[in-house]
Amino acid sequence: MTTQTVGTRRSFGRRPVEVAIRVLLWGYAGLVIAPLSLVVLNSLRPTREIFRDPIALPKSLNFESFQVAWTEANFSAYFLNSLVITVASVTLATAVSVLAAYVLGRYRFRGSGLLAVFFLSGLLLPFRLAILPLFLLLQSLGLVDTRIGLILVYAATGIPFSVFILSAFFRQLPGELTEAARIDGAGEFTIFGRVMLPLVRPGMATVAIFQFVPLWNDFFFPLVLLRSSDKLTLPVGMTRFFGEFQTDWSTLFAGIIITTLPLIVLFLVATKQIIAGLTAGVGKI
Amino acid sequence: MSRYGRGSPASLAVLLAALALVATACGGGGTPTTTQGSSDTGGQTTTTKDEMTDTTEGSMPEAEEVTLTVWSWRPEDEDAYNEIFDVYEAANPGVTVEFVPFVNTDYNNILSTGLAGEGGPDVVQLRAYGGIQPLIEAGQLVPLDGEIDTLSNFSEDALKVSTGLKDGRVYGVPFAYQAFAVFYNKAIFDELGLSEPTTWEEWTNILDTLKGAGYIPISTPAKDPDTWMLAIIHDTIGAPRYGGRQFEKEVLAGETDFTDPDYVASIAMMNDLLPYLPDDVIGVGYQDSKTLFITEAAAMFIGGSFEIGFWRDNAPDLDLGVFRVPAPPDAIAPASTVGWMDGSFGVNANSDAVDAAKKLVEWMGSKEFGDLFTKKIKQLSPIPGTAPEDPLLARFGELYQESPVSYLHLVNFRYGDPRGDVLLREGIVKMWLGEMTPEEVAQRVQDGISQWFTPGG
Amino acid sequence: MGRAAPPWPVLVVFLAPAFLLYTVFLVFPLAQALFFSLFEWTGSVRGGFVGLRNFAELFGRFPLNEQLPRAFLHNTIFFVVTMAIQVSLGLLFAVLFQRGIRGKQFLRTVYVLPFMISPLVVGYVWSLILNPTFGPVNAGLKAIGLDALARPWLGDPTTAFPVIMLVNVWFWLGFPMLLFAAGLAAIPEDYAEAARVDGANSWQVFRHVTFPLLTPVFGTVTVLTFIRSFNVFGLVWALGGVDGGPAGSTDVLGLLFYRTAFRGGVDAFGVASALAVIMFLVIFGAAMLFRAWFHRIEAGLT
Repeated sequence: MTTQTVGTRRSFGRRPVEVAIRVLLWGYAGLVIAPLSLVVLNSLRPTREIFRDPIALPKSLNFESFQVAWTEANFSAYFLNSLVITVASVTLATAVSVLAAYVLGRYRFRGSGLLAVFFLSGLLLPFRLAILPLFLLLQSLGLVDTRIGLILVYAATGIPFSVFILSAFFRQLPGELTEAARIDGAGEFTIFGRVMLPLVRPGMATVAIFQFVPLWNDFFFPLVLLRSSDKLTLPVGMTRFFGEFQTDWSTLFAGIIITTLPLIVLFLVATKQIIAGLTAGVGKI
Repeated sequence: MSRYGRGSPASLAVLLAALALVATACGGGGTPTTTQGSSDTGGQTTTTKDEMTDTTEGSMPEAEEVTLTVWSWRPEDEDAYNEIFDVYEAANPGVTVEFVPFVNTDYNNILSTGLAGEGGPDVVQLRAYGGIQPLIEAGQLVPLDGEIDTLSNFSEDALKVSTGLKDGRVYGVPFAYQAFAVFYNKAIFDELGLSEPTTWEEWTNILDTLKGAGYIPISTPAKDPDTWMLAIIHDTIGAPRYGGRQFEKEVLAGETDFTDPDYVASIAMMNDLLPYLPDDVIGVGYQDSKTLFITEAAAMFIGGSFEIGFWRDNAPDLDLGVFRVPAPPDAIAPASTVGWMDGSFGVNANSDAVDAAKKLVEWMGSKEFGDLFTKKIKQLSPIPGTAPEDPLLARFGELYQESPVSYLHLVNFRYGDPRGDVLLREGIVKMWLGEMTPEEVAQRVQDGISQWFTPGG
Repeated sequence: MGRAAPPWPVLVVFLAPAFLLYTVFLVFPLAQALFFSLFEWTGSVRGGFVGLRNFAELFGRFPLNEQLPRAFLHNTIFFVVTMAIQVSLGLLFAVLFQRGIRGKQFLRTVYVLPFMISPLVVGYVWSLILNPTFGPVNAGLKAIGLDALARPWLGDPTTAFPVIMLVNVWFWLGFPMLLFAAGLAAIPEDYAEAARVDGANSWQVFRHVTFPLLTPVFGTVTVLTFIRSFNVFGLVWALGGVDGGPAGSTDVLGLLFYRTAFRGGVDAFGVASALAVIMFLVIFGAAMLFRAWFHRIEAGLT
């Protein structure tokens, strides 16, 4: 870290190009942050003020909207539901995907190419279309309005992307590792569990995080597949603030912040892991 | 080496758990049920409906505990509806009514699955006119005519909102009607010595005076998706010009169509209005247009009776009045006020408490409900004898009752794809952008509607 | 690679969980939905087999017959423009970050931030900023005397779609940037070093060493951007409305599908299913072509 700082400082003095680069990078950061700060600022203002003047600084710091969202709008329960459902879905999808990706990435066998395309095709489809058959399927399984039902659907939607990225990971692992284990007499499951799995852990983290974000933000599936208000997730909870003609912006913005913060924290914690994961995994499609 | 050992047991446990889940999911009935699921729904719905009616009538005593779920697209009315249903619960021991609102934009979506299977609502808030037809034709609603008494409180015009196009039966109890007129800021009118117009001359004078004084005369949204206002504003301004109710009758009978010169002239009136709307109106959204009005940058707002709640909540100090736009000199019908039924409440054919649901819906057609509705939700109830407390809302009711005219495209031309109101509002925007003439807009509306509409049918 | 595969019972154990979960809960309902395009529908109840009638409706019914090609064109433009900007900016940022800059960790997180927010919120925030009446963009332009440039950005058919594409880049840029950063990090330093020893300047190193080695990343970015461009929905909905306004200038296949399915007439479900079949064929076919193309380029490189 320190050497790097020294390095940049030296080059900063040396070349005006470095100044330009820094202006560009920080400038773009400003372009990202400015619109988002609007959400933060408006969450601190009463709705009536937002209507009168949509873009302004809050007159006083007012955290009431957060309190309303958290307690009255039942966000604490939604938060827990979101967490359980998202974590379970991501875990399940990653677990089954890593198994499939292992054989698809390491071996060629009859139908392996077709299977890879079959899994990839899941990335291409408009899911909304399937909502009616999906609903009827869950109903026949007795899984409508259950968290398990939603988790299974979510996990299924995560599989194409996870298999796609993870098989690229496995493909790039050097063959010598497994050869050594094989000579020692290890079976396929031992090689997978003891040798290969630990090596793709960065990849699993990456895949997990990229599944996490859209599932955490999704409101379409829970809106249709869940019924009881005690099972709803954060984004569905948020749609309750959208009226037909009147929207409670202040609480809505507070809700958005409550919903987004965990993702930001997750990303801050995991940036290095993600980069490391992607580094190994972007190889081939 | 120890690194390898640490990770794997946990991961394997996860894998095992995952496998177990998949196994349960598939073993639990995946094989026998999946293929038939949807294809049977049609038949199923009708049989279940009959069975339900029989069993409930035969064996269910009145006082048995029952929870009725009511689905709605009005999250902003949740508290009010809960208070209203408290009254019903008090009078009907054993009945619990649960109000569940969904986000308006995804409500149709939710209904298409909610009514297709079990676990859906007992009582459903239903979209108006054309919007209810897919549910009726799919056999997902219980017909109510001849079944509940309070339908007699409504005129035939009002019941059109929930009547099946093919079978002519009634499937819902209307809950509100909306009227459209011009809100104005009394303080600004006083300042400039203006008053409610009664002639076209006075109306154009108001527009010019306001513009001259630096106000935006009329605030209106025209940015998608808020263009829905435009088709209603067209009727508000232009109905007298195209002939109002007479034209409606003729166009439905096939005696005329939308290329009629009077209808074209009414579309051209929207062009004349453009200079009096906010600058860059095609970028102004619904919320923005309301903000312009409550911040007194705009002096008038052409809007519906449903806006009053917003003005009262967000600009309680604003002194507002409302009037109807006078008829232009070349009008062929008298000045009128546009209105329509907002929707209805009906009974889900798949409900497991059809009788209790019917009883609730019957009550929702009573004067008691109408009074509570106008009082708490602050909208106009079509039930006779209900009077709103808010004078502004009461004025809307008077204006509409005096000289009603339909919101032409909602009431008559939403029964097929493409919808009349969508064609018209897209056309008006294109006309304002200079891409279409009034004649072309009218032609487009006619071309689109004639894809599915047979006059006289 | 190329080694003999394990016996099939072992393969089954590895593949079955993902295969079953994916097939039962995703492929099967979707296949069913596509199959539905061959039937008549009343609301959500299926009627008799009608062959290709729903497809005929889709291509013949006014104004669907105008809207379908237009939406298709918009999606194609969306893909091309997004690709061009995202690849150049994403790669530029990734390269700059690789040089090591103070606050790199922070900046990188900031760049990825929009990706974590729901598209509906992104849409709301930008429509506020670009608002012709209150928006800071027009206010800023007027403040510095550029009144002529101030316009209703989302209300003008000539600017609405370009603006939406730019907002989309803002929204999504972090993702290709991360992929490129990862790709760059995977290139061993000795390659560039060797080229430098041979007298190449830094542009030449980039052009002839780094760039070709990034081909697989370009492949991934292209395929994912293509899929995303043709499925884009939430952001366009939030900025242009469900009709893709103004005057249809921002209409895309996702919106058209949604309108047909949930706002059409009584037979909506069949026509929407037909549309989904068409969308699937186009997206799947093109994605497979891209994939094959990049595999060929890679094969040519090694």
